[in-house]
Amino acid sequence: MKEKFLNIKFKGMGSPCEITLMGSPNEEETLTALQHEVSRLEQKYSRFLKNSVLNAINASAGDPRGFTVDEETLAIFQHAAACYDQSDGLFDITAGPLNKIWDYRKAIVPDKNTIEETLQNVGFKRIAIKNRKVFLPSGMELDFGGIVKEYAADRLATIASKNSNLMGLINLGGDFAVIGSKHTKYKPWKVGISCPKRPSVAIAEIALHHGGLASSGDYLRCFELHGKRYSHLLNPVTGYPSTGWQSVSIAAPSCLLAGSIATIAMLKPLQESSDFLRDAGLAFVAVDSDGKMLTNLE
Amino acid sequence: MSKRSVHNKIKKRYSRSILALSGTALTLSSMSYADAPPTQSTVSIKSTNYQEDDLLSNEVLFGELSRYDIDVHQFQLVTPVTRNSSLQVNGSYDSLSGASPWFTSANSEGEPIVNLSGASGIYDTRRELSIGGSYYLENETVNLSIGRSAENDYNAAFINFGFTHQLNNRLTTIGVNTSISNDEIFPTDAEKFNRIKSASKRSVSTALSISHIINRFSAYQTAISVTNQKGFLSDPYKLRDVRPNSKSQYAWTNSFRIFFEKMDAALHSNYRLYHDDFGIGSHTVDFSWHQNLSTYIPFDLRFVPSIRYYTQSSANFFTNIDDFSSDPLAPQSSDYRLAAFGAISAGINFIADLNNLRITAGGERDQAKSKYSAYNVSRPSTALVRFSRISIGFDFSY
Amino acid sequence: MTLIQKHILGLLVLLSTLNLTACVEVRAWEKGYLAKEEMAWNPDILEDALAKHIFFSKEASSGSSSAAGGGCGCN
Repeated sequence: MKEKFLNIKFKGMGSPCEITLMGSPNEEETLTALQHEVSRLEQKYSRFLKNSVLNAINASAGDPRGFTVDEETLAIFQHAAACYDQSDGLFDITAGPLNKIWDYRKAIVPDKNTIEETLQNVGFKRIAIKNRKVFLPSGMELDFGGIVKEYAADRLATIASKNSNLMGLINLGGDFAVIGSKHTKYKPWKVGISCPKRPSVAIAEIALHHGGLASSGDYLRCFELHGKRYSHLLNPVTGYPSTGWQSVSIAAPSCLLAGSIATIAMLKPLQESSDFLRDAGLAFVAVDSDGKMLTNLE
Repeated sequence: MSKRSVHNKIKKRYSRSILALSGTALTLSSMSYADAPPTQSTVSIKSTNYQEDDLLSNEVLFGELSRYDIDVHQFQLVTPVTRNSSLQVNGSYDSLSGASPWFTSANSEGEPIVNLSGASGIYDTRRELSIGGSYYLENETVNLSIGRSAENDYNAAFINFGFTHQLNNRLTTIGVNTSISNDEIFPTDAEKFNRIKSASKRSVSTALSISHIINRFSAYQTAISVTNQKGFLSDPYKLRDVRPNSKSQYAWTNSFRIFFEKMDAALHSNYRLYHDDFGIGSHTVDFSWHQNLSTYIPFDLRFVPSIRYYTQSSANFFTNIDDFSSDPLAPQSSDYRLAAFGAISAGINFIADLNNLRITAGGERDQAKSKYSAYNVSRPSTALVRFSRISIGFDFSY
Repeated sequence: MTLIQKHILGLLVLLSTLNLTACVEVRAWEKGYLAKEEMAWNPDILEDALAKHIFFSKEASSGSSSAAGGGCGCN
């Protein structure tokens, strides 16, 4: 097999994306299919596109007839339900309204009453799902952040892997998925883990043979006030920003799994999160607010 | 902090919450839109050698001892046409040699004995070609195929229509499948042996099936099929073979599939109850175990051992010693396939996936005996077959 | 009665004997294992076709979840 690298960069799902492919005679077709898939998912689940399924569901809030969703969206809900259950309510796709009251540019902490009021409209368990219908209570809204981009990376890898000659790597704004069969004998992809404060500096490197890698972190979206760091990741139980890690990166059998666990680890209190990560059985790199690194990499 | 180069060593034992999450994540990521059209073309070929054991010399009075030896070559092409349609072409070429029972008589002790067809034996080829298309809708698939089959003394033309519909959140699939076949037989050496010059028959068959997903590890399917045949249903090569000119067959099939997560294996079990108006009833039970071995070896390999048990009762008009003195128009046949018997078979298949090439190899051994019958055997046939087959197949996807 | 009429009547009679059992509901998203190839009703189409053909020619019975094809002088 002649090895030929093909690398494209594009903007998708609000992030810089990169696809690296090698080893196929019809990789151009595959690339077209992959970009098509990115735009399909973007149009379906973007918060910024009026006609997206996500916005249609949000628009249905309070409608007693519910909103009928397709199988793919249903599967996303189920994964969101598992994330909610396994994080004791910390990973919550209904946490969106909290983002509106925490203004990072103005660096203002909202008052208690506002937070209490907003929390009335948060809580995944208040959504009813029956058959194919989703019943979203009035005032609530959904955000598939932490799920859809990771899922998209896996989808692309799955689609590309159907062409059994292909190997490669998908990178959707830091969410990675490996293309190729589990048994493809090829050297692993090395993915650098950025320093949360200086994204261009790698603090560790994870060798990915298969599956995916995802990170969750403050990166530059946080503010400090009176010596306290306010992360953009909000705890949907308290209404306040999480105070744990600056960033968590996980390698897992799929990018979606990696991303979900990274998000949960970000939201858990530091000590509990450390235990959670150690017990997870997956390769991880976590950086705390002082820049100290915790990892199970050797 | 210095840059560290490390290996991604993942513990094999995941925590419970990770397992819970990976379940839904895996489902979402690997979600196949059930009954989706193929996304790539696949060419499959399979060659099989089928061989029947020789009859024992004390079972044969006249003719050759050896039975059929058949080479079967199958071909299939499945290719996507549009985003929701696909084309399928199937071909097969069989070459056959050997002998088949001609008539049965009694030996000096009054036991039945087989007379195999002429010393020249039988040499025949069978060519079959069918072409079909499938169209996939969100919850439905429709397919239509037509085909022809030709042998030296037999032609058939058939058409098949199938429809499936998924309902109940795609947990249940109902299917209808109908085929019509027009067959024509024109026996060789018709004049010499005073055989019928040509005859025809028509078959209509319909199957209705319901499959249901029980839980995320198992699924069940039940189906009924009805086949009606009309026309010349006898065997023109047998010296004395008269059968009714219509036949109705009913079958009720039940299939169960279960996946064992820890063993990375699937169990298939099937049971069929059958009845027809020739008076034959039968039971068929089979099991196969689909064991994945990819955890132990560096490529995808699966092996599939299987066992099958079959038993049938005899047709009302079956005789094991041809009676040439009876009414020549009264139904009578010594065809061993109309006798009461039982058959046990065992087989194994290996399936190896090497990127875009799949190699399948396997074999099966089948023995039919009167004593295996679960039904009463008042007139045992001496012509029951014992056969072996070995196959090798290649699937190439591009 | 024509062949087709007889055929339809036979189908209706058999259909009336079919009983559907209710099952636990499984959500679409839980179908991961069922999508595996070894869980298909017929994982190997050519093998299945061949086995059916052989048993059709050696035994009196025929019929399955798909319609029985005709078209062979072997039975």
